[in-house]
Amino acid sequence: MPIQVNTSVVGKEYPPFPVTVERGKIKDFARAIGDLNPFYLDDRVGAASEWGDVIAPPTFAVTFRDERADAGALLRDLGVDIARVLHGEQEFEIVRQLTPGETYLCRTKVVDIYEKTGKSGPMAFVVRETAITDRTNEIVATMRNVMVIRL
Amino acid sequence: MKYAKVSFEDVTVGDELPPLHKGPIEQIQLTRYAGASGDFNPIHQDDAFARAAGMGGVFAHGMLSMGFVAQALTDWAGVGTVRKLGVRFAALVRLRDVVTCRGRVLAKSSKDDVHTVELEVWAENQRGEKVVSGRATLALAARA
Repeated sequence: MPIQVNTSVVGKEYPPFPVTVERGKIKDFARAIGDLNPFYLDDRVGAASEWGDVIAPPTFAVTFRDERADAGALLRDLGVDIARVLHGEQEFEIVRQLTPGETYLCRTKVVDIYEKTGKSGPMAFVVRETAITDRTNEIVATMRNVMVIRL
Repeated sequence: MKYAKVSFEDVTVGDELPPLHKGPIEQIQLTRYAGASGDFNPIHQDDAFARAAGMGGVFAHGMLSMGFVAQALTDWAGVGTVRKLGVRFAALVRLRDVVTCRGRVLAKSSKDDVHTVELEVWAENQRGEKVVSGRATLALAARA
């Protein structure tokens, strides 16, 4: 019996949460990927760069999490166990580079839920968008996440 | 050359990115990526959990492979060039897989001194199966 997903979650906006980018977090993230680019890892290279500091790799914003607004909160709302979840799609739009010491505000919203039947059976697709803004409320980056739930 | 920066004029539609080979994927890298990203889903760490979930064992975070694709782009074009990167996770990456990231220039355009390049990007495993496929938009500097 396929499970039911609570589709009334569409349109839900999660509580905005602030994130301050830590220098060490950028470096740990780059090293975990095995990307040893000195613009992420070497403070002197960063200081001499056009950004005046190291910058974060393109996918770094995925580390911006808050337990009231993350995948765990979404799964509770959907009534779905984490063992059923796969990452379907991900997109980043980057307007400005993320740099250490900066504080950003993240706002996540559920924009769509739809069902499809694939090779491995029925699946639900949950689409979330996260807008990342700076202190002056300018958009710095956006993320779009498609979570796949095996029903 | 590693950490090169390409100029807009040097890019031609049809150009291919230098392939970036990553792996073989080890469990320790998935544990490290969990810590660095904050994604502690046990399906990437605990083989018994992943089997019980019907996944046939542990597999890599999709975001790790997406990080590899981003690296292929920045190794070629330079850091700070990626304006947009969107991917679909087409197949699972397993322990001991080798992931090769590739890309091809689809289009070039210039508007108001912003020079952008559109690419198709993908990653494949050692059997040539696509594990990631997507599109990227880079903003490149023009030669002075």
